[in-house]
Amino acid sequence: MNQKMKETILNPILKGNPITVLVLGICSSLAVTVEMKGALVMALSVTLVTGLSSLICSLLRKTIPNRVRIIIQLVVVALMVILVDQLLKSFEGTYPIDKQLSVYIGLIITNCIVMGRIEAFALGNKPIPSLLDGLANGVGYGLILIIVAFFRELLGSGTLFGIPVLAKLGYVNNGLMILPPMALILIGCIIWVQRSIQKDLQEK
Amino acid sequence: MNTNSNTYTVIYTTLVCVLVAAILAFVSQLLKPKQEANEKAETISQILTAAGFDEKAHWQEIGNAATIDFYKENLAEAYTVSAQGAQVKSLDKAKADIYSVSDLKVQNRAIKAGKDYEIPVYTFTNGVTVIPVYGAGLWGPVWGYLSFDASLDNIEGAYFDHESETPGLGGKIKDDPAFRAQFKGKNVNYADAKAFEIVKGGAPADKRNAIDAITGATMTSKGLDEAINNWLGAFKAYLQGRIQAKAAEAEAAAAAAAEAEAAETETQTAE
Repeated sequence: MNQKMKETILNPILKGNPITVLVLGICSSLAVTVEMKGALVMALSVTLVTGLSSLICSLLRKTIPNRVRIIIQLVVVALMVILVDQLLKSFEGTYPIDKQLSVYIGLIITNCIVMGRIEAFALGNKPIPSLLDGLANGVGYGLILIIVAFFRELLGSGTLFGIPVLAKLGYVNNGLMILPPMALILIGCIIWVQRSIQKDLQEK
Repeated sequence: MNTNSNTYTVIYTTLVCVLVAAILAFVSQLLKPKQEANEKAETISQILTAAGFDEKAHWQEIGNAATIDFYKENLAEAYTVSAQGAQVKSLDKAKADIYSVSDLKVQNRAIKAGKDYEIPVYTFTNGVTVIPVYGAGLWGPVWGYLSFDASLDNIEGAYFDHESETPGLGGKIKDDPAFRAQFKGKNVNYADAKAFEIVKGGAPADKRNAIDAITGATMTSKGLDEAINNWLGAFKAYLQGRIQAKAAEAEAAAAAAAEAEAAETETQTAE
């Protein structure tokens, strides 16, 4: 693997993380991080959608009429999201999670990360790097989602993936962790930690 | 080729849209049976939750097949009733026939239009009766199930679901156990202007047929209140008919007991 490929994959996860650096996709990261299970399914769905729609848009990039490119991208993204949603609804194991995530699966269509990566990367690059860029951005998004969900579920409900962890130790659940503002505070903390480590992200 | 010409743009966009529509239609047809099976099990688990058998999470844990089996085992009878309160047809127990949410939607339209309707009632072997409700929330439909104990004077439990209410606000009708817990021990009073009420700002403590609305979800609470009242109105003849039949039965039993007692005293005097 050459240097450029490596950069494409690692950049969205660390230095150019869609949530902590680009600050995209905040809405859903507040809403679906109450539980690990939901966060994990959301992370996988977004990864799949960003990856595949970047791939398709990159394949079509030379044929898309410039004036309607946003609409065409939107159609491709919507197709992917609806397919993911339909699949989640079809399996017994994922149906309750799909119900729980309700509107947020559909709202992946409006997740700025997806359109942002297509506009910024897929339209100007070959299919394989575009696929990797999309997947890596999904992973970068999912990583933050899972970190936030880990703390919120552990401290808010005393469980992880629904299995009691802290509850056995006599921990009293912190109701604030369940509420959306706490996700924002946690993301703030993650941004803080990241910027203290990667000094070049700090504004002068 | 000039990708910026009008003709190209129109043809390209049309082709993309047609292609995407075809893919979606195909996938939707392919996955429909599976999705319907999931939806049916979900509806049954909601009915069972409202009936107070177990919490919602339990049914998810045991899976679709076990949930449907439990339903079949514990169901006494499921049937539909008309506006006059008469039983119209029986729902097949062996097939676990139920009215899906889309069936409720059709009936809701008929109820609102004042036309004839047929709405389902589920009775369980432990005496619990479950009825559905359906209406409009803020963003989309809300629906759910109310259950009554054997006396029909006590609400045993409730479960609600919605299509697109705001999570954390209107979504609480489903997600907040405290909201649902309020229903237990309440009753329905047809003598009041509203048979059941969801009161903004808090229900009076002495009113048995009212509960507190959800803070920050006025429209959803109102919608649910309307849904419950519309459907309680639709079930009025049926529920009152059953209460009267029960009262008549109790009276007959009391009369029979009194007669038996009188006969006993008579024999004692004769001795």
